Amino acid sequence: MSTSTPPTELFISKHVSYIQNLGESKDDLAYHLTAHLRLNAIYWGLTALSIMGHSDALNREEMVDFVMECWDEEAGGFGAHPGHDAHIHATLSAIQILIMQDALDRMDVDRVTKFILSLQQPSGVFAGDQWGEIDTRFLYCAVNALSLLGKLDLMDKEKTVDYISRCRNFDGGFGSVVGAESHAAQGVFVCVAALAILDRLDVVDLDTLGWWLSERQLPNGGLNGRPQKLEDVCYSFWVLSALSILKKVPWIDADKLTGFILSAQDPEGGGIADRPGDMVDVFHTHFGVAGLSILGYPGLVDLDPVYCMPADVIEKRGLRKGWKGLERREK
Amino acid sequence: MPPIGEDSASLKFSQKPEWADVVPVLQYENVNPLAPIFYSEEYKDATDYFRGIVKSGEKSDRVLTLTEAIIRQNPAHYSAWYYRYETLLAINTPLDVELKLMDELAVKYLKTYQVWHHRRLLLTITRKPADELEFIARSLKVDAKNYHTWSYRQWLLAYFNDEEDLWTGELDFVDTMLNQDVRNNSAWHHRFFVVWGCGVREGEEDRSRILKRELIYVKQNISLAPNNPSAWNYLRGILEHNSAPYSALKDFVAVYTVPHSTDRTEIVDLELPPPDKGAELPCAQAIEFLADIYEQECTREAALKATELWRSLANEHDTIRKKYWEHRIRDALEATKDDV
Repeated sequence: MSTSTPPTELFISKHVSYIQNLGESKDDLAYHLTAHLRLNAIYWGLTALSIMGHSDALNREEMVDFVMECWDEEAGGFGAHPGHDAHIHATLSAIQILIMQDALDRMDVDRVTKFILSLQQPSGVFAGDQWGEIDTRFLYCAVNALSLLGKLDLMDKEKTVDYISRCRNFDGGFGSVVGAESHAAQGVFVCVAALAILDRLDVVDLDTLGWWLSERQLPNGGLNGRPQKLEDVCYSFWVLSALSILKKVPWIDADKLTGFILSAQDPEGGGIADRPGDMVDVFHTHFGVAGLSILGYPGLVDLDPVYCMPADVIEKRGLRKGWKGLERREK
Repeated sequence: MPPIGEDSASLKFSQKPEWADVVPVLQYENVNPLAPIFYSEEYKDATDYFRGIVKSGEKSDRVLTLTEAIIRQNPAHYSAWYYRYETLLAINTPLDVELKLMDELAVKYLKTYQVWHHRRLLLTITRKPADELEFIARSLKVDAKNYHTWSYRQWLLAYFNDEEDLWTGELDFVDTMLNQDVRNNSAWHHRFFVVWGCGVREGEEDRSRILKRELIYVKQNISLAPNNPSAWNYLRGILEHNSAPYSALKDFVAVYTVPHSTDRTEIVDLELPPPDKGAELPCAQAIEFLADIYEQECTREAALKATELWRSLANEHDTIRKKYWEHRIRDALEATKDDV
């Protein structure tokens, strides 16, 4: 990556090409997407493109066909790759992609609903798949997916909310399971966004959590995931999204964060890394652009931070919740 | 015939005669990959055979060999983990042998969820948590803040809660970790979990005594390294948890909100440990805390004092959160505007 002055603008066309070329970059062996992530990766790519105003930069039919190839007929859900067992995270990605591509009719909604509901545990949390790994990430995937499908009423909401409140820690944050340390991504974002969908933000100590989130910002402008850890571009989304749901995005320094995200770009090849100087990948490209959208960066499309999908898509489905990002600035 | 010098372990499954009866199932290649997998020939070979095994439903020793090969190349392959677990149970493999193997993989693949979930499953069957504490301590030597590792420890303690001995060394363990790095947020969180978050230990029923002990502990650590958000969060946490007022800490905190004093007393007071001579003062977290004390007094006069402190944070000591501190100022002034 270039060692001259850090970038101060968003290289949209470079990032669009970067995502388009993900299929072609055979010499980019350091960049390794494994099968267990493929469907999620497509969702990250598509959402990033949508936020940058290039939602049709990838072939729609091919993408939808690929999603359907990930269908696990036995389980009634989607795996991350053809031949992989159904998993709740992949299933959410599939639903999100199909909705963004206006192809939800390709999916068996009832069977998928059944698959998701079958993963709810007696404690209220959700498992990821039949293997039984539990985590508030999977809880969020379930709540998000069921909400998108209009089937939220079929799950046990009380138990879910109860589990989330048991994950609340002394610092106002949330952990990945009961007893675990507060973590901006796998605790705070997923719990707060799930609560937003369930209209139960009363579970959140808004002031304490808002303060805890604002404390994630480091002197270089970047955000970390928990106290005294390193900054990472992806927290630009996790932290910012949670703050926007609490309507406290102004509590962080937007200019400094913007500067940090932009400096993590690869100005030649496109893509965004976890921090300046590191290798780019589609995960950080997506979350970097998502963070910039919430910050009101000019030229980007509004992102719904609760569902992490284009805001107009969510609005059309009547699912918009009371979040607030920064005003979109003029170019 | 394998080339001379090449041992069986490095052969692909397609080259091993003992696997000749299995029909490998190739990965679906016909769809134009939008986010392609870059995998080695060995991985492709192993997963082809994995799909063959899954199709036939075989559960045997060689399946363990195969799934281990996959996991070593891709520790996040959740299907392989699940099938391995089912196989272990189906063929009655001694699980402590499996755990030993997992010890090696866990250290190598610390940041993978699957490694830890597999361990949890095994422990619910072996029910031998004591050795696990030692294993977790070793893992933390490699990565002291690993989220999965700490979460696993919390799970273990909570799941086997009624085994009193399990908790005996826990406070000492946290202390050791904090001695190594007083800024380890995971360790502070764990301390809260151990003392306040998972039942009451025998002999610790007098909660006010425990609160006193913990206050001394956290103040000691703050005095050693004042600019440590984790310690201050812990202090706030224990006060809130016990509904104890912040105001009791006023004298302790005040010293940290100003530059080092030249005429310091050398008398040691456990209740009021002073800032370490090398510490950078004033300490932003202390200023925050003192401001909160004033705000809690709910008078206009106190609100103005808090405002002064918040202004110093906004303009000097914590400028990146300027807007947050300005919000606190507005809030407190609004709340006390009728108080003359």
